[in-house]
Amino acid sequence: MKVLIYAVLLVGLVPIQSVLMPHLSVWGVKPDLGLIVVCLVGLFAGELEGLVVGLAVGWIISLFSAESLLLSMVTKGGVGYAAGLAGRQVVYLTPVGLVIGLLVVSILAGLLTAGSLRLNDQQDMWWALRAIVLPQACFDAAMGGAIYWAVWSRLNVERTVSAYRA
Amino acid sequence: MRMVNLRAPYNARRVALTLAVILLVGFLLLPSQLQGVFQQMGGPVGWIVSWPLRAMAGVSDGISNAWTGFVVLQGVEEENKQLRKELEYLKGQNSQLREAAAATDRLTALLEFKAQALPPMVAAQVIGRDTGNWYRTLILNKGESDGLQPDRGVITPAGVVGRIVKTTTSTSVVLLVTDPNNAIAGLIQRTRDEGIVEGISEGSARLKYIPLLSNARAGDRVVTSGLAGGFPRGLSIGTITRIDKEEGALFQSAELTPEVDVNRVEEVLVIQSPYVPTEGERLGPPGAKPKP
Repeated sequence: MKVLIYAVLLVGLVPIQSVLMPHLSVWGVKPDLGLIVVCLVGLFAGELEGLVVGLAVGWIISLFSAESLLLSMVTKGGVGYAAGLAGRQVVYLTPVGLVIGLLVVSILAGLLTAGSLRLNDQQDMWWALRAIVLPQACFDAAMGGAIYWAVWSRLNVERTVSAYRA
Repeated sequence: MRMVNLRAPYNARRVALTLAVILLVGFLLLPSQLQGVFQQMGGPVGWIVSWPLRAMAGVSDGISNAWTGFVVLQGVEEENKQLRKELEYLKGQNSQLREAAAATDRLTALLEFKAQALPPMVAAQVIGRDTGNWYRTLILNKGESDGLQPDRGVITPAGVVGRIVKTTTSTSVVLLVTDPNNAIAGLIQRTRDEGIVEGISEGSARLKYIPLLSNARAGDRVVTSGLAGGFPRGLSIGTITRIDKEEGALFQSAELTPEVDVNRVEEVLVIQSPYVPTEGERLGPPGAKPKP
């Protein structure tokens, strides 16, 4: 069942990210749904699943982008793994905590990407930070918080999952 | 709010660490080989993902068309679309005719002159945009199975759109002319000065390495030079809006407005075979050929 959910997630992620997300972009920056999903999977399912789903998301996303395959897989896999480790330390998670966590994770992932890209004379680190990294981190945090709030409290998935596990 | 625990009962941390280390070492020791393997494996995955991608692009286009066509301005929108298409076609034709006229003047002196002909092309639809924020790309609904390969030029009747950087079985990723990571060999149509067209962060483009003595000015058209980059000579790239001359610099540069509005492109043509310059193009203008 879980594998099927992850498969649907992976196949559905690219169309949503490349077709719907551009409509939500502000100043040319759109949220990274892959990063949000990987973060949530890592938090709730542990570091192994976070890592595996992160690597898979990074791989599939990179097939439909000019981004380097290695960078995409390392970033998303690392985020999934780190989220899994962080999830071990957290007993209670509030939406605010998740939003702050996502903000930090997105900034770190963005800085890693900016640092590893060969930025040219018109695209220095400061440009990357103000034009892409920070706006995207705010976007990711807001959207991640909204998804968390919608899925985990509005749809009462917690009870469903508990019933399924029992 | 309570944290939900979906964790598996085995020592996940150890397995995850081992997996991560194996992959990292693999990527460090064999970066291109491992990337090649993943890119090859991506073919069938890309084919699977392309179906929901096309479906969602279709739904998105449908909603967008319904909104613009029926709700906002039904008749005017349709007429405007037709006129835009016509204008784009005429712009492209105009640019090619100018180039053809200039080429005729220069090349009739050459003994082995060959007429410029566009190589075979494949029409493709735009089904998505880049999945990230770092690059400006388009996703096309045609891929390796349709004969598309990386480095092929992508155009519309109005001019250059970009070039393919990645392909799967049924999709391709096009790096736009406005992306700072793209570089296309360009030529100022009036002065015949060559340079390199690169995208800039603000979303337009820049022609770099124009000789200092060039008298290029705002309003000059820039076309592909055909010397490198998968494009034949004479395809319109953009119009110069500003010339930048820096004190002490070896070259001047010019800001361009691209001929194609890359944010509104829906259908494109992909140059299918790698472009090889004709003999006349390789030899250059008559003046450059030394007399025996």
